[in-house]
Amino acid sequence: MDFFQALSEYNFMRYALIGGLLASVACGIVGSFVVVKRISYLAGGVAHSIIGGVGTAYFLGFSPMLGAIAAAVAFSVILGWVSLRLREYEDTVISALWSMGMALGILFLSKTPGFNMDLMHFLFGSILVIGDGDLSLILALDLLVVVVILLFYKQFVAVSFDEEFARLRGVNVERFYLLFLILVGLTVVLFIKIVGVILVIALLTLPAAISGHYVRSLNKMMVLAVLFGMVFTASGLFVSYVYDFPPGSTIVVLAGVTYLVSLTFCGLLRQTPIR
Amino acid sequence: MMDAVTIADVSFSYSGPPVLERVNLTIPEGEFLGLVGPNGSGKSTLLKLILGILNPQQGSIRIFGEHPERGRGRIGYMPQMTRFARDFPITVEETVLLGRLGKTSAFGFYRKKDREFARRAMDEVEVTHLRKRPIGTLSGGQLQRVLIARALAGEPDMLILDEPTSNIDMRMEEDIFDLLQTLNKRVTILVVSHDIGFISQYIHRVACLNRTLQVHQTTEITHDILQSLYDHPVHMVAHKHEPFEEG
Repeated sequence: MDFFQALSEYNFMRYALIGGLLASVACGIVGSFVVVKRISYLAGGVAHSIIGGVGTAYFLGFSPMLGAIAAAVAFSVILGWVSLRLREYEDTVISALWSMGMALGILFLSKTPGFNMDLMHFLFGSILVIGDGDLSLILALDLLVVVVILLFYKQFVAVSFDEEFARLRGVNVERFYLLFLILVGLTVVLFIKIVGVILVIALLTLPAAISGHYVRSLNKMMVLAVLFGMVFTASGLFVSYVYDFPPGSTIVVLAGVTYLVSLTFCGLLRQTPIR
Repeated sequence: MMDAVTIADVSFSYSGPPVLERVNLTIPEGEFLGLVGPNGSGKSTLLKLILGILNPQQGSIRIFGEHPERGRGRIGYMPQMTRFARDFPITVEETVLLGRLGKTSAFGFYRKKDREFARRAMDEVEVTHLRKRPIGTLSGGQLQRVLIARALAGEPDMLILDEPTSNIDMRMEEDIFDLLQTLNKRVTILVVSHDIGFISQYIHRVACLNRTLQVHQTTEITHDILQSLYDHPVHMVAHKHEPFEEG
């Protein structure tokens, strides 16, 4: 059966595609800020430490997605605070929290019966078992992220571009920085089902970084990044179906290869600095 | 007429010897004041104190009679260009619009009124034709003007410019100071520079900073004053390619 036939016959294939396309929206928008503000390391820390929340939620018998959301918010605030207050040790402290968050999650999961399969899902995604509930959650988080960004677009641009000037114009830089990191955390949650927390950082940064090779304005970068994200998730799903690959990894490899090709192409084409 | 800036007996240190000691300075409205001093003399620290980014450990600072954190809303600030992420994907117009923050609504996008003020500011410094250009494609002089436009977009009563002519050539420098002289008809200006020989023809008074501060009328500036400020022989016209040695 070919991909398009499968798409028309199986609900799970349609859900996988719709889930991927929806998640790409938040990813392109938030990812553009992550790339221009150069905080992909911080975003990686937030993404991985979410496993801590998932493990804790499993152990205590809560919904793991609820645990993921709680951990996303908590770790965004903690890591953001670290990056604002302890600039000199930022990378060390982020590394520590990053691995501790994951380790804690795995400790809790190991004390919960039947954890093995679930852990793999959270680490590497399980796009083919997306259900109604997951789609609603993705849609809700998507809307939340987009609405908050649109509402405070000016402030987010100001804080990413020129913190000091933003502060002098009365923008509460710390508050918007933390709010933005929370949005990063929520975007990661939205991608857990699709590529998992290990691979999400690729989808958060690569579509935006590729767009940055071709456009020189933030809003165009966002639109293009959303489109790239959609192309990667859709084509990744297609390739993984045809060759029977794991979908999450296929999506990330496609994005990564495109990024490297684009980087080489642009680097050869012009001598301007590129991301 | 109210004073734009009042600095009374201000001392400051980070975590070692004092960077500023008993600094007194009053800038009346309408003045064009130059602040000069060698590297490490405390110029940036003094600016941060005036802008309320730092608080003095001793003494007090008032901006238009208010605490700096409130009064700074009336200041248009132009930072040093060297500290700038020039590869940031943002156009000239979007950059200038940032100057409207604090004057525009906190939610949503910029209003029509904001775009008008940004347009007026760009007209004034003659960069309107560049408004769709990404800032990464501008020359040093063009970017400098854009940053002045951004400072003007917030309808300031005072402009503070930190090294507005570093990294640009002599002719551009003259253009920028001619522009500032025109703007001085309606706003107070404080300009930080280490090129005192050049700016002295534009400014009313010069404040010489090297931990302590002394203010001179520009007509009073003599070779001896400069020499005592820099602690070693200097020429009246500073040469940019001649690095100051630490005194």
